[in-house]
Amino acid sequence: MDFSFSEEQKLFREQVIRFAKKEIVPRVREHDLAGKFDFESFRKLGNFGILGLHFPEDFGGSEADVVTSVVAGEALGEAGVDGGLTLAYGAHTFLCADTIFTHGSKALREKYVPRLASGEWIGCMGLTEPGAGSDVASMTTRAVKENGRYVLDGSKMFITNGPIADVAVVYAKTDKNLKHAGISAFVVEKDTPGFSAGKPLQKMGVRSSHTSELIFENCQIPEENLIGREGAGFLMAMQTVEWDRSALMAPFIGGMTYGLNKCIRYAGERIQFGRPIGSFQAIKHKLADIKIFIEAARTLVYRVAWCKDQGRPLNHLEAAVAKLFVGDWSLKPANDAVIIHGGYGYCHEYDVERNFRDSRLAPIGGGTSEIAKKIISKLM
Amino acid sequence: MNFDIDDSIKILCDKIRSLYQEPSDTAGVRFHPSEALETRNGLLKNLKSLSGLGYFDMGIEDGRNSIALARARETMACLSPSLFLSVEMSTRIFGALIALYGSSEQKEEILPALKGGTLIGAVGLTETGMSLENMAMETTGRAMEESITLSGEKPYVLNGPVADLIAVAGKYEAENPGVGFFLVDRASAGLLIGPRISTVGFEGTALSSITLNDCQLSPKSLMGPFEGNEVFTKLRNWEDQVLTTAALGLMRRSYESALKYAREHESGGKPIIAYQEIAFKLAEMLTLLQTSQLLAYRAAWMDETGDREADVLARCAKVFCSESAQDVTNQAMQILGIHGYCSHNRVEEAYRDVRYLQVSGTSSEISRMKIADWIMH
Repeated sequence: MDFSFSEEQKLFREQVIRFAKKEIVPRVREHDLAGKFDFESFRKLGNFGILGLHFPEDFGGSEADVVTSVVAGEALGEAGVDGGLTLAYGAHTFLCADTIFTHGSKALREKYVPRLASGEWIGCMGLTEPGAGSDVASMTTRAVKENGRYVLDGSKMFITNGPIADVAVVYAKTDKNLKHAGISAFVVEKDTPGFSAGKPLQKMGVRSSHTSELIFENCQIPEENLIGREGAGFLMAMQTVEWDRSALMAPFIGGMTYGLNKCIRYAGERIQFGRPIGSFQAIKHKLADIKIFIEAARTLVYRVAWCKDQGRPLNHLEAAVAKLFVGDWSLKPANDAVIIHGGYGYCHEYDVERNFRDSRLAPIGGGTSEIAKKIISKLM
Repeated sequence: MNFDIDDSIKILCDKIRSLYQEPSDTAGVRFHPSEALETRNGLLKNLKSLSGLGYFDMGIEDGRNSIALARARETMACLSPSLFLSVEMSTRIFGALIALYGSSEQKEEILPALKGGTLIGAVGLTETGMSLENMAMETTGRAMEESITLSGEKPYVLNGPVADLIAVAGKYEAENPGVGFFLVDRASAGLLIGPRISTVGFEGTALSSITLNDCQLSPKSLMGPFEGNEVFTKLRNWEDQVLTTAALGLMRRSYESALKYAREHESGGKPIIAYQEIAFKLAEMLTLLQTSQLLAYRAAWMDETGDREADVLARCAKVFCSESAQDVTNQAMQILGIHGYCSHNRVEEAYRDVRYLQVSGTSSEISRMKIADWIMH
């Protein structure tokens, strides 16, 4: 066992923090409060190379390993980038671009991955439906092959980047009589007739990411847009879940460090009863709890990333353990950070309430805590 | 980065396990002798076999934690918590104290016997009303012409009733005064070992008070005097490492027992693990176990590599692992139901033992304050 980062990774972490603090963080609060996606920041992420980090250079990436991608995600959070932008990045890079890259044909990869890696196009992924959440196999969106084309009908729900995406990876049933084995994945472009996105949903947190329904009505796409083979969609979705539970979790942990740093500063400056509140044991207790959570959680997330780098397929147990812990155990420290700031913490200006709202997604998105427990109890 | 456990560590842990072939699935390795002589002989026998495995090759000479040591300790604590605590206190902690702070003569005399498993050690540190922060120790050794006279009381000494040698912390009054340790042989006149104290858990670990009434010691028995608190901080850190890994061991035995029970015990025509109320509890328990393991191993790794954050990580690990262990043993008891509630099973034993972990060493309260002080400095 060895928990060290390479010098390169350490340096990269510092670079990402510096970049994000300068270029992105000053814009974050405005977009969070307005519930507005920040196209400029997203492009900057692309220019900096984060959106395509782990893709080969031929595809506009840097060929980074998964651990380095997690380092980047954690660093963005630590710098103060909101959960909305990092979620948009995660959905774009891991759930959309990576699926096309890993499973798509040469033509699909060459057409879409470089554009997504640079941030020229924005990607999203449609799996969940209004009536099919945790029970993925009960999806009703259909893809029927007719005259060399697939015709999609149905709808997808809670799709991150849905309203702004140029390209979507969409899961649909090619055989309605089969459960998981009847699911296939497709690439659908924005302007395809019959494809539309609903209005952005008003959300509690991750507000700078846009989320909506995707609607397919007699939506015809070329048969070449099938990713991989028919019936292989569920496996692909499960593979993206490892990203969901490592690289996508990393910004949460970085965000908790950002919140802790805010708390440390505030607790040192805020004077009550003639002394800084950071000298009271009740406040120290909370600060310690936040630190303990961060240290406990981050190792779990890096373990998933490392397993993925070793090419170990489907590390479901490790991934579910990380997801469950980050999801269920992050709520108290996120709450503590608000409480330490008192009335100020309840106001937008101090960012800790944003962290609190954003962290509420952790036990829901990318597989709920209950699903994580189901997976763990099956595999143990 | 590497999350795989090295083969050499696995081999050592397998050897430890093979030493303690469990007599039955539920009994575990019970080490609960009630008589001092029986406890002493049992402990010596185990020290000898562990010595043969190389269990004492780590953490004594350099006083450093390591992933290998943490994993070996976890394995041992899982098999027999009381034996684990006695062994660590006797050999590793007492041993590291001698190795790092003893005179060369003391080292030569004590360490080979200790590592060979033929000598039992103990450390007397805590006093009533004393905290490590202010070090108000009453126990005092006075330098006389050709001896040291030691007086004082240590109310809680692990291995007190069975130890050959006790390192007693105290003030040293002499021309160059300070604090130090006095090595007291169990046969010393003026040493009174109190009756064994009955405890909630770790019943196999003998605990007693010791009283020193003008105990006459050779000047060679002095370790120190030391300036400052370093030696005491080290001692507490070693103790915390033992308690952190004890937490891992107790969690592992509770989780494993509960999982086995949930698969075998039926209700409503199916094993109870088929119910989410049970299966999801087990999932939470495994999550806490794995999270604790990784945190404790990383803290150990930081100590091994001299990381800047090693101290604060060790405290995070102590709090998180000991509190998670309380949670996991409690859940395991719930899953075992009345079977768990009846005495003499692995879970019931762990449920009681676990209570020691948060109160002993650096308590959860003091640990949190130290973590906060560290991050705010």
